[in-house]
Amino acid sequence: MRIRNGWAALLVGVPLAFMAAFFLVPFFVVVMASFQTKDGAWSLANYARILGDSYYPSILYVTFKLSLIATLVSFVIGYPIAYYIVNVVRSRMARRICYILVIMPLFTSNIVRSFGWMILLGRQGLVNTTLMTLGLTDRPMPILFTELSIIIGLTYILVPFMVLTVAGVLQTIDKSLVEAALDLGANRFVTFAKVTFPLSLPGVVAGSLIVFTLAVSAYVVPSIMSGGRTVVMAMSIFEQYGSLFDFNFGAALAVGLLVVTLVLIALYLFFIERQPAGRQAVRS
Amino acid sequence: MMTFPERIGRFLLLAFVWAGLAFLTIPLAIIVAVSFTETEYLTFPPQGFTLRWYEQFLADTSYLDSIGLSASIAVASTVIAILIGIPAALAITRSQLPGMKLVNTIFLAPLILPTIVIGAALLQYASMLGFARSYTALLVGHVVIVVPYILRTVLASLARFDQTLEEASLDLGASPVSTFFLVTLPIIKPGLVAGALFALIISWINVELSIFNATAALMPIPVKIFNYVQYAIDPMVAAISAGTIYVAIVAVVLLDVFVGIDRVAAPSK
Repeated sequence: MRIRNGWAALLVGVPLAFMAAFFLVPFFVVVMASFQTKDGAWSLANYARILGDSYYPSILYVTFKLSLIATLVSFVIGYPIAYYIVNVVRSRMARRICYILVIMPLFTSNIVRSFGWMILLGRQGLVNTTLMTLGLTDRPMPILFTELSIIIGLTYILVPFMVLTVAGVLQTIDKSLVEAALDLGANRFVTFAKVTFPLSLPGVVAGSLIVFTLAVSAYVVPSIMSGGRTVVMAMSIFEQYGSLFDFNFGAALAVGLLVVTLVLIALYLFFIERQPAGRQAVRS
Repeated sequence: MMTFPERIGRFLLLAFVWAGLAFLTIPLAIIVAVSFTETEYLTFPPQGFTLRWYEQFLADTSYLDSIGLSASIAVASTVIAILIGIPAALAITRSQLPGMKLVNTIFLAPLILPTIVIGAALLQYASMLGFARSYTALLVGHVVIVVPYILRTVLASLARFDQTLEEASLDLGASPVSTFFLVTLPIIKPGLVAGALFALIISWINVELSIFNATAALMPIPVKIFNYVQYAIDPMVAAISAGTIYVAIVAVVLLDVFVGIDRVAAPSK
């Protein structure tokens, strides 16, 4: 059914007005505020302050370092799960159980999921008691409230997103291509490396982008799992808005985070595009 | 036929995948387990079995208020997002109005933009207009972040289905409006249900957005747990957290029963 332009404008008008009023304009306000001082004068002072000493650059560095590691680990854990669900499992029932296990954490709050890891990683937690029982260490290891625990917590949040994105693409791969490779004498490892994996690259690219963006802006996991000992950008932004009430400087931090994220994503896509197998992945 | 190395490879894959799935499940199972402990502190394995931590949090009205607030925001924001998302999706797929690609991007942008930035922006904007830290501020923020989930699934359903059904309805004399309600809506319903469930859950579990506009009297349950866990962890907060896990289980089961979880998770073309 074709909808005439007049009616379509009417249909989309109110929704668009809503998004403009509560999404576009607020975002615009933040960008404007980042270029203003507290008394409303235009200035670059907020950005100068971010770059002024090593404090905020080092927070940016930690944020992106942890996000990058968490993205890589999510890929290493998530890809095999997606591959298994789509290409190995035969029965629909087993596939559904796998999906339920993947989606259940997704339906639980970040705070609840991090809380689970607090119990597991604490000095008397299951991980430490297991390590000690196995004789791998004689003293509880400090895992909780380190960068390692932030990475574990982030990875835990992110794996389901990676699995679902990669599985979505794996599912669209024409099975006859895999059969052709096997028929022509390639073993399963070669078939995977030369056929399945290259064809699944769009999913890997999309998945890693989603996961990385989520990791960079994660607030709950780093605040809980760092015990306040490591600070990431999202925590600084909230501190400015929530307890220091410096909206202008907070805005500059938010815009800074966004800009650096977008630049890194652009670099990543540029790098992938230069690889022969990656060109297709970026286009789609 | 599989060769020996291929069998080894398959075995390793299986072991790795089930370790991965265990990694996803264990933290949630641990919370549920320790919420029944009889001790005053958190311990694993839990000692004994008691429901007193659940009784304690159900007796505290501030938690019930938070749960009520979260449920109300989740339902209201999902309903508004449906009312916004369906007309927008219709205009995007069924009209030749220029600029629809941009409109689509605007509606999906909240998925990519850091939630913490959206939260900050809404607090700043609401402060300017005088509705900061209010129910309205929380609600509109939740609508913005759940709209993409509705729009995506509705767009997918609209793109997939056979448009001759709508034409037949129009040819037989039904008006475009009744065609929408009698033909289009029933067909996109599974996609809409899946999108709505995702929207409800995304709102229900949100901390990053709500925390900016929350107050002591107006605090969604995930924010309340977040604030609590930063100062103390005890079996009661495990019981509250376990409660939200039960909600997740119910939601996933509903999704599987009504739509089929494998169809929602990775829709085939």
